[in-house]
Amino acid sequence: MRIPCPHCGARDAQEFTYLGDANPKRPDGMEATEAAMFDYVYQRDNPAGRFRELWYHGAGCHAWLVVTRDTKTHAIEAAEPAKPTKAGAAA
Amino acid sequence: MSDAATKSDAAMKPGWTPRSAWAGILSEGSFGAKGPAGVTATAREGLGIASLIVAEGGDAALAKAMKARFGLALPSTPQAAISAGRALVWAGPGQWLFIAGDRGGFADDLQALSGLAAIADQSDGRAVLTLSGDKIRAALAKGCMIDLHPSAFSVGSSALTSIAHIGVHLWRAEDGPNGAVFEFMVARSMAGSFWSWFSASAAEFGCQVTIPRACRVGRG
Amino acid sequence: MSSQPFRLSAGGLIDRTQAQSFRFDGKRYEGYAGDTLASALLANGVRLVGRSFKYHRPRGILSAGAEEPNALVELRAGARREPNTRATVAELYHGLEARSQNRWPSLAFDLLSVNSLFGAGLVAGFYYKTFMWPAAFWEKLYEPLIRRAAGLGRAAPHEDPDHYEKAFAFCDVLVIGGGPAGLAAALAAGRSGARVILCDEDFRLGGALLAEKREIDGRPAAEWLAATLAELASLPDVTIMPRSTVYGVYDHGIYGVVERVNDHLPVPPVHQPRQRAWRINAKRAILAAGAIERPIVFAGNDTPGVMLAGAVRAYVNRYAVLPGREAVVFTSSDDGWATMRDLAAAGAKVAAIVDPRVEIDAGLMALASRIGAQVFAGSVVSSASGGRALDRVTIRDASGREQSIACDLLAVSNGWNPTLHLTSHQNSRPVWDEAIHAFVPGQMPAGLSVAGSAAGRFSLAQALADGARQGTEAAIDCGFAAKAELPPRKTDPEGIALSPVWRVKGGKGKAFVDFQNDVTDKDVELAAREGFKPVEHLKRYTTLGMATDQGKTSNIAGLAIMAELTAKTIPETGTTIFRPPYTPVAIGALGGHHRGRDFRPTRLAPTHQWSQDQGAVFVESGAWMRAQYYPKAGETDWLTTVNREVLAVRNGVGLCDVSTLGKIDIQGADAAEILERVYINGWKALPVGKARYGLMLREDGFVMDDGTTSRLGETHFLMTTTTANAGKVMQHLEFCHQVLWPSLDIRMVSVSEQWAQAAIAGPKARAVLQGVIDPQHDISNEAFPYLAAREITVGGGIPARLFRISFSGELAYELAVPADYGDAMMRALMAAGEPHGICAYGTEALGVMRIEKGHVAGNELSGQTTARDLGLGKMMSSKKDFIGRVMAKREALVEAERPSLIGFKAVDPSQRLRAGAHFIAIGKPATMENDEGYMTSVAYSPNLKHWMGLGLLKNGASRIGERIRAVDPVRNGDIEVEICSPVFVDPEGTRLHV
Repeated sequence: MRIPCPHCGARDAQEFTYLGDANPKRPDGMEATEAAMFDYVYQRDNPAGRFRELWYHGAGCHAWLVVTRDTKTHAIEAAEPAKPTKAGAAA
Repeated sequence: MSDAATKSDAAMKPGWTPRSAWAGILSEGSFGAKGPAGVTATAREGLGIASLIVAEGGDAALAKAMKARFGLALPSTPQAAISAGRALVWAGPGQWLFIAGDRGGFADDLQALSGLAAIADQSDGRAVLTLSGDKIRAALAKGCMIDLHPSAFSVGSSALTSIAHIGVHLWRAEDGPNGAVFEFMVARSMAGSFWSWFSASAAEFGCQVTIPRACRVGRG
Repeated sequence: MSSQPFRLSAGGLIDRTQAQSFRFDGKRYEGYAGDTLASALLANGVRLVGRSFKYHRPRGILSAGAEEPNALVELRAGARREPNTRATVAELYHGLEARSQNRWPSLAFDLLSVNSLFGAGLVAGFYYKTFMWPAAFWEKLYEPLIRRAAGLGRAAPHEDPDHYEKAFAFCDVLVIGGGPAGLAAALAAGRSGARVILCDEDFRLGGALLAEKREIDGRPAAEWLAATLAELASLPDVTIMPRSTVYGVYDHGIYGVVERVNDHLPVPPVHQPRQRAWRINAKRAILAAGAIERPIVFAGNDTPGVMLAGAVRAYVNRYAVLPGREAVVFTSSDDGWATMRDLAAAGAKVAAIVDPRVEIDAGLMALASRIGAQVFAGSVVSSASGGRALDRVTIRDASGREQSIACDLLAVSNGWNPTLHLTSHQNSRPVWDEAIHAFVPGQMPAGLSVAGSAAGRFSLAQALADGARQGTEAAIDCGFAAKAELPPRKTDPEGIALSPVWRVKGGKGKAFVDFQNDVTDKDVELAAREGFKPVEHLKRYTTLGMATDQGKTSNIAGLAIMAELTAKTIPETGTTIFRPPYTPVAIGALGGHHRGRDFRPTRLAPTHQWSQDQGAVFVESGAWMRAQYYPKAGETDWLTTVNREVLAVRNGVGLCDVSTLGKIDIQGADAAEILERVYINGWKALPVGKARYGLMLREDGFVMDDGTTSRLGETHFLMTTTTANAGKVMQHLEFCHQVLWPSLDIRMVSVSEQWAQAAIAGPKARAVLQGVIDPQHDISNEAFPYLAAREITVGGGIPARLFRISFSGELAYELAVPADYGDAMMRALMAAGEPHGICAYGTEALGVMRIEKGHVAGNELSGQTTARDLGLGKMMSSKKDFIGRVMAKREALVEAERPSLIGFKAVDPSQRLRAGAHFIAIGKPATMENDEGYMTSVAYSPNLKHWMGLGLLKNGASRIGERIRAVDPVRNGDIEVEICSPVFVDPEGTRLHV
């Protein structure tokens, strides 16, 4: 696969590390129930089709990316930095 | 931020001889196919290298200082700004490598930038080669996953990538007499493995290795 | 026998001035430059080339291309021997050596061909059914037997002496195939200015044009070919890659290509690879791979001398070889009649032409009449015979009357299959085209289009037009302007009418569907009877299409027979799909540079040369080479050396490289905050100039890594990680920053490579250090106490960092200097330490001392242990959130029974402990139910003079003084051990603080 890194351009997938579903949000550990944290750590959807997933460009710019990919065709719809950038901030 | 290389040799105790990242790895001369070298490799030694990282929104102030003090435009995309004796290479979002051709005054340079960015000296942690020659792209194609064709990688382009499982930071300098000139930077610990890959890849075309005087210092 | 008795006296694309001698099964022959091994064998009258996989049937040469299922040979000798090489694509070179496969003792007399007589027992499903019981017989009896009887050549027993490369290329338009369609496409795209790569598996470009006598614009096609190649060569951004097979199509425009750079030479020139595996990134690609002719299934259709009709034309026209002198043509298409024409033109006698169609084109009938070939319309060849060489075919007419004709060549044509394999590499299924009686590409992979015969448009005119149009379109897709439209080319007429016949029943002997895997029509029938009717079942049950040729010549007949048996149409029956690689790719090419020492990169510390000079024995630690121990003259075993090193540290002073530890520079207003969140313990109160031990968990509550982190400034920390986890921890911190808490002001960068670092440990450490650091720095116990961390200078102004931390439990420091000075630092420390008897020590001694102190390391940080398991549960802060906080408190992770860290020593002190041994109560059997934990680390303590161990044991901490067994079934160990404190030396820690 080629992943269109928003910083570096299209790069071979071997430059990236896969993590998985980008949707779960980490609950605050001081308040979260064990069940909520369990869901965050272990429960994952495995959709056939459009999926937002986290990739780390470890051999490139070290950015964590949210890649929207079709798991059936591998077509990539978008790749965005996981860290939101403010307008006018560094690229 | 202090820097070793600003200290004169005289001030140092005998025995504290620096050892180049390329010591024991490169040897001057040519190898591979006979005839005119299709590829040339020149060791870079004594560079001042520092990583600069700005806080969110901090790039404007750094850009201003870079322009004012060094005449370098802060790149916001994978580019290298190059002036006589210095370079500023994009190293990720909000991150750059600031490079000086020698370490004299480098500590002062960094001092001038303190407060504008998180600065970490990397001068000793990187090994840099200047690669050129008629066949350099053919040699690099044996591992480099970046399209280095002139239409895709113009002078001043840079990339962070990996070659032969080794992290590489590369950029294209001004053209030389043999056409395109590339700077390749790898982690010091990987210099030997990088050279093992590069020398195997370049041998087919014949390779000329140059080691500047400063680089020959050290046991090896 | 005259040399090359079957070579035509003129013509062909061979260089008669370059004779090349070669050996086949030890016998010397001669061919010409431009030959393949197959054409050279045929020129010498060699028909019998190999024995088949299962029945050891004599086999010859079926095709003239990559699809060859029969003529598989071992090429080259010794370490360069390569099995299963297709003779039809092996380029001849002077000195080539080849051997036939699967014959014993000889090709002509093969004892194992009795398999063929017992053939009834070797039908489809044979392996599944026969060797079911008893299971133990598999390893000892069945498998060796099968391996002897059925095999595919022998791999070389030695390391391959040649080298291989991987390479990457980028282009706008990749053209796959250098026949008329591909060349037209490359030219159209190239003229527009696009970057074009054209790959062809052959060593000569031209594809089908090389095998046929054709005309373009009223001139011989060779003229068009020459002009086109010349123009392509003149275009700077067009790259022509002959001998290059595109073997796979991957996501997002990635194509796998293997270039046989030097397979056409006995030994690659120095500095050159044998093969190069390319990954080509193409914005657009055009598949112009042509088509593969289909055989017909009839009895004896595998007899040497039965050949595809198109292949016969290739041997006659391209290689100037007569594959036989008395030929019969069996064809269901007009195309086969061209073989009759070309054979006759070359001087062969064409005795008969057999066509199942009743109505034959009048022009073809007239041609046959001129040639003197007897026409059998409405007839079939029901069997071929002759054993090792064809001598006779039986022809059967519509009424069933049979007639036998002598011949030494049977040319068979049953229409063509588009070479669409690459189009299905991304799971797209080919679709049936009734008009051409063949599967054509279904949904195309993004960016790929298909031209000419590969698309089922078989005529030369279609190929040229398709190529030109698609080349232009592809260039436009890549942003280039199309040049003026190319005028359509005029070609000579060609017949393409077809009425395929899939099998002829009722002949005597086996009728093969899949030649390479020896699958017959009876096997397909058996599969149908036993219910393996869907194509995927048919394939796996009979192994049809599962050989290295992936059924290029066989799948379609198998499907057609199954369709017939189940009274379905072929499209209803469906087809299997193809996977990469299109043709076999040597594993060496895929590995490229990455073998032996270069299998993966090796990392060397900046102190490496020093360690080497000290005589270190190195050990791989992840990618690093670390000094394991430093044997001195006279020390013959590692334990003697390690004991000396440990005692030297405990009683004097030692020096150890620790440069490989991960070092992460963390700056920013929230630098302390991120540490709070990733470590289980607190950080905000850590004063500037101090170091602290930290432990980090994964979010699931298990330990990820540990290390010391120092506060260099109010908003500046230096984290250290274990050597093994440096990259993983950096990635984790980036995740925490970028994904979890993007609003924190943290700026992190790895400085692992910048600093060389050494541990100086032992009662005399301070004295040694004082000889190295610049005199203005006070490192007395008062000024620089345990866990102090400061920037200092050494050697007259070289910046350095000094940390008073200890892994050995002794008074110890870690000194870091810029990596250029790493070598000098070690030498300076050794010089300063000489009067104190300083000793270099490696990771083994380090390991002994940390076990003596009960410190955890890699064996304990296994990814399966919690902080509590390691006795570090009390470090977990209750006042803050941190990664892993919630999950670490899960019931199962905090129950008392859960194995936790404790020490062990043998009841008999002379006995050796073993890591990995499991703890079983005395008197109980060693079963899973009785398992109470296991030993994680062991070492011999030269201080205590016995072995000691750390391990994870149920209720560990409360069982000190008890005895238990340490059972090690792998090494037959079963010894009694006493549970003890995990701190074996200086439990009060007084040595640290002196």
